[in-house]
Amino acid sequence: MKIYINNKELEVSGNEPLIEELNRNGYNIPSLCYAKEAKHQASCMVCMVKNIANGQMIPSCSTFPTEGMKIETDTEEVLSLRQMSLELLLSDHRADCEAPCTIVCPNKLDPAQILLYYDKTHPCPPCEGGSSHAEKDTPNTNKDLRESFPCYNCKAPCEKACRRGTVDKSVSIREIMIEMAENHPVLFENTPNGNSLPHREGRGGSVFSSKLGRYTNEEKEWLKEVYNDASHCLHCACEGRDKCKLREYSAQAGIKAPRYGVSSSLPVKEQIRVVGKLCYEPAKCIRCGLCVYNSEDGFTFHNRGFVMQVVIPEESKNHIKEQLATLCPTGALFLAP
Amino acid sequence: MACEDCKLNSPELVLESMVRRTDAIIDRIGGTRDKIIPLLQALQEEFSYLPSDALNHIYERTEIDRAQVISVSSFYSQFRMVPYGKHTIKVCIGTACHVKGASIVYDAFKRELNIPDDSITTNDQQYSIEKVACLGCCALAPVVQIDNKIFGHVQAGRVRDVLAEFEELQSQNGKENESQKREPQGEVRIGMENCCQASGTAEVRDAVVKACDELGINVKLKPISCVGACNQVPLIDVAMPNGEIVRYPNIKSEEVKEVLLHHFKPASKLRRLRNVILNHIDTFHTDTTWDNILWKPEQERTQHINTFLNGQHRISTEGYGKMNPLDIDEYIKLGGFEALKKALTSMKREEVIDEVLKSGLRGRGGGGFPTGRKWQMVAGNESDKKYVICNGDEGDPGAFMDRILLESYPLRVIEGLIIAAYAVGADEGIFYIRAEYPQAVIRIRKALDMCREKGMLGENILNTGFNMDIRVFEGAGAFVCGEETALIGSIEGKRGFPHLRPPYPAQAGLFGKPTLINNVESLSQISYIINHGAEEYAKVGTEGSKGTKVFALAGKVNHGGLIEVPMGTTLRQIVEEIGGGVEGGEKLKAVQTGGPSGGCIPAELCDAKVDFDALNQMGAIMGSGGLVVLSESSCMVDVARYFLNFTCEESCGKCTFCRIGIRRMLDILDKLSTGKATMADIDRLEELANSVKKSALCGLGKTAPNPVLSTLRYFRNEYEEHVQGICRTGSCKGMVKLVVTDDCLGCTKCARCCPSEAIAFTPYEKHEIDVTKCTLCGLCMDECDYKAIKYENLHK
Repeated sequence: MKIYINNKELEVSGNEPLIEELNRNGYNIPSLCYAKEAKHQASCMVCMVKNIANGQMIPSCSTFPTEGMKIETDTEEVLSLRQMSLELLLSDHRADCEAPCTIVCPNKLDPAQILLYYDKTHPCPPCEGGSSHAEKDTPNTNKDLRESFPCYNCKAPCEKACRRGTVDKSVSIREIMIEMAENHPVLFENTPNGNSLPHREGRGGSVFSSKLGRYTNEEKEWLKEVYNDASHCLHCACEGRDKCKLREYSAQAGIKAPRYGVSSSLPVKEQIRVVGKLCYEPAKCIRCGLCVYNSEDGFTFHNRGFVMQVVIPEESKNHIKEQLATLCPTGALFLAP
Repeated sequence: MACEDCKLNSPELVLESMVRRTDAIIDRIGGTRDKIIPLLQALQEEFSYLPSDALNHIYERTEIDRAQVISVSSFYSQFRMVPYGKHTIKVCIGTACHVKGASIVYDAFKRELNIPDDSITTNDQQYSIEKVACLGCCALAPVVQIDNKIFGHVQAGRVRDVLAEFEELQSQNGKENESQKREPQGEVRIGMENCCQASGTAEVRDAVVKACDELGINVKLKPISCVGACNQVPLIDVAMPNGEIVRYPNIKSEEVKEVLLHHFKPASKLRRLRNVILNHIDTFHTDTTWDNILWKPEQERTQHINTFLNGQHRISTEGYGKMNPLDIDEYIKLGGFEALKKALTSMKREEVIDEVLKSGLRGRGGGGFPTGRKWQMVAGNESDKKYVICNGDEGDPGAFMDRILLESYPLRVIEGLIIAAYAVGADEGIFYIRAEYPQAVIRIRKALDMCREKGMLGENILNTGFNMDIRVFEGAGAFVCGEETALIGSIEGKRGFPHLRPPYPAQAGLFGKPTLINNVESLSQISYIINHGAEEYAKVGTEGSKGTKVFALAGKVNHGGLIEVPMGTTLRQIVEEIGGGVEGGEKLKAVQTGGPSGGCIPAELCDAKVDFDALNQMGAIMGSGGLVVLSESSCMVDVARYFLNFTCEESCGKCTFCRIGIRRMLDILDKLSTGKATMADIDRLEELANSVKKSALCGLGKTAPNPVLSTLRYFRNEYEEHVQGICRTGSCKGMVKLVVTDDCLGCTKCARCCPSEAIAFTPYEKHEIDVTKCTLCGLCMDECDYKAIKYENLHK
């Protein structure tokens, strides 16, 4: 059958949803709640196109072409509505893409990653008995370290940006960075770009970074209780940011700052171990339902309206398979490293 | 609840009993996935909540799993996971109740019962309190239901009396009056709908029974279909054997005896004499009867009700005030089931559809899609199985048409549904009725049984070889289920998520089969069309909208109630003539139509003729037919915020624009109503509203911004005033305070009535209101005889 995309004729089979036909022909329609070969229901509205015949905005992931259908995909109206749907999703997405410490680092280091490693190798708070500090690898004997490693002479804006600072006390990032640089120089070698320091990638205008907003007082109490690793770091950076489509499309749409204040009923920073390495962080969930529709007696919706959540009952965790993480369009479902 | 469990003393025995009771429920209802809603309803009925042990047993014994139970039970507002107190107080927060101060009533109950802030149940487990979407008694607002008893006109100041009245009723329960066997001397007709009972009709009925016993007279007490004049109840009609009918609106139970004496002769002369004397003594010695109903001339007594009833045109509500809703013989005698007979015996299916098509009937559920076209679509899809569904999920706060039609004219609606089934070739019908309408469910069930007995339902209907049966499905509390695809989802045992059309239900509906879904009111017009012909029907109404429309008239209007008028009647006629003008002589500001999906039509446009197209052009919709009258003392920002709050809670949560977009609109309205918004916020609100309208997936989402858009269109200045910190009506509690003016004489009335002790007891001195304690309930304003308390804006 023939359909018309932005006034151009296109021959299609009619057996696949519009989005497949469009993407095959290079229209690059973004979509979050849709995954080929998986059960889905239109919800995110990021893939919408305009049906000229009745003037309605329709989700291309769930609409099948009909003979003579006329579709617009690139008008100002369509693009701005798509952008608004992303902005609305972001206003209910209580998570940081990048850790604030990493974002502000004037030396382009990645403190977030070092802190992650630090906590992994320091399983308990150091001051408590029985702490098992990691073995030092060959200590750095380079006397020039003091000069070459930038943290020595830095005013540590990372510590000012540190989210832990809004809870009780900032993480001593500079101190830890120096300790790690002295004891584990290997960490700062063999990093991409041949740079001698772990360098965060993709900084620059094209990358979007979601911001979490402020913690409530109850959240602060809860965070103090739960996040008590050696460094006290909250590990703000998102584990799933590299595969996150929400981030990708937000960058493509040129979204810089959130247009709507973040208010959300989601439990911030709560991470639930589901099965094996699979973890679930509800605050990053956009409620597309892919994990619900594609698990049997597993993930399920709870409540309705704005406060609707996706939950995983304790008793149903063993019905879930790790691969489900690949369906999640954001970092809400991820495999723990 | 004093259940049998309390007598068991070991946890094992309690569990065993619970399992046994759960088993009985599963055996009765079934265990397939589509049975989940009726199963959960039965569990809750049995245990007063959903105990986890019972649910675990459900997982073991049925197809239903944990994911489904969590998903479904948390979606529908009817279900609860914690036990409630012995009695449940439901405070209606429908539109009409809202504009008359429902939230203050809710607070007053919590205060009166000492319910802690973070709880909904009293410490002694006697009462639980909840807000409910709409009890459908809008003309009696504010309305409260305690267990099965409905109370009307419950202002915050009456809360204590209502509780006392309820407790008195509890202690009286179980006393029955003697029945009578002698030949009736006449008939007393009395409306017994839920809403009539709320305003004292039940007491009047009891008084009639009691008076008959005392006087030894015997009249037939006949429950009748709703007259619609909710403002004039309790209302009784005395019908004499000679056909004369005398109407007594607003009768009090203490007047009943005298009215009966006036019309009927008591058994013995002695008894009569004694009663006359006693009654006269009563009459002259009590204040209440000085304004005696019998002493008023006929004209004065019935003037209001007559103006209310004139100008109406009865099709759906034909036989109002005369018919007993559940007397099938009477219905047949008055021409009932003639249409069914005519359709089944002398018309082909296509002819029936053609007739409906020609009549121009458009769906009364809101959208106004031509009913005949819908029938054609379903009829045109070949299938081994088809369904017809009557949509009685009237969720609009401020609307009660469908409830009245189901309660008062159940047989007419059933007849319409059978004809529809015949026309489209379906053999199974379902009444989908919302949970808040228990009386409608009971009556429809009874009426269905009667139809089966008479051979109007079941196998070989009226010996024509046509088979079909109808069952009832009770909704579980979700506004979105009025949307047809969501409604289907809920019958299938799912969350009420609407899904994208196409496919339309006419192609693939319930369980994937072609399904016809019509609104209650549309179906109630079918028998008239078949009986009188499409041409006759089409004579009523306007060019694009034929026939009559039933409206629920409520809000700030003198005579609210249920009315049926020809399409094309103007809003002004409805408000001024039928409704008797705005309450308290205030000026009409706007009429809200179509509930949360509709809009506010300003007074200057109220001369437009009401039909589908005219309302759409004005930015409102017909909706299912709620008309809420707003006066000068209604704040339009507050009205918009009220509706958005409603849709935000009732949104199914599936698509981004409805789930988050409406929340963000509400954020802005919250800012506006606390005086914290900027002018740019108004533009942002408008942009969001237009985007949600364009991009939401289903009808609920697409129409949800209408209350905001229409008020922005006609009352933008009010929004701008709110930015400047002014709410002229005092409705936006975040930006006003109550102050005492110099008119105060220091009478202490306000100090005594203040529930939060915000006014010090200072006789003969001007009173002061402590704003830190004041909850702005407004009780003092009502109490003050000198109008010395008024709202003042905080941000001046």
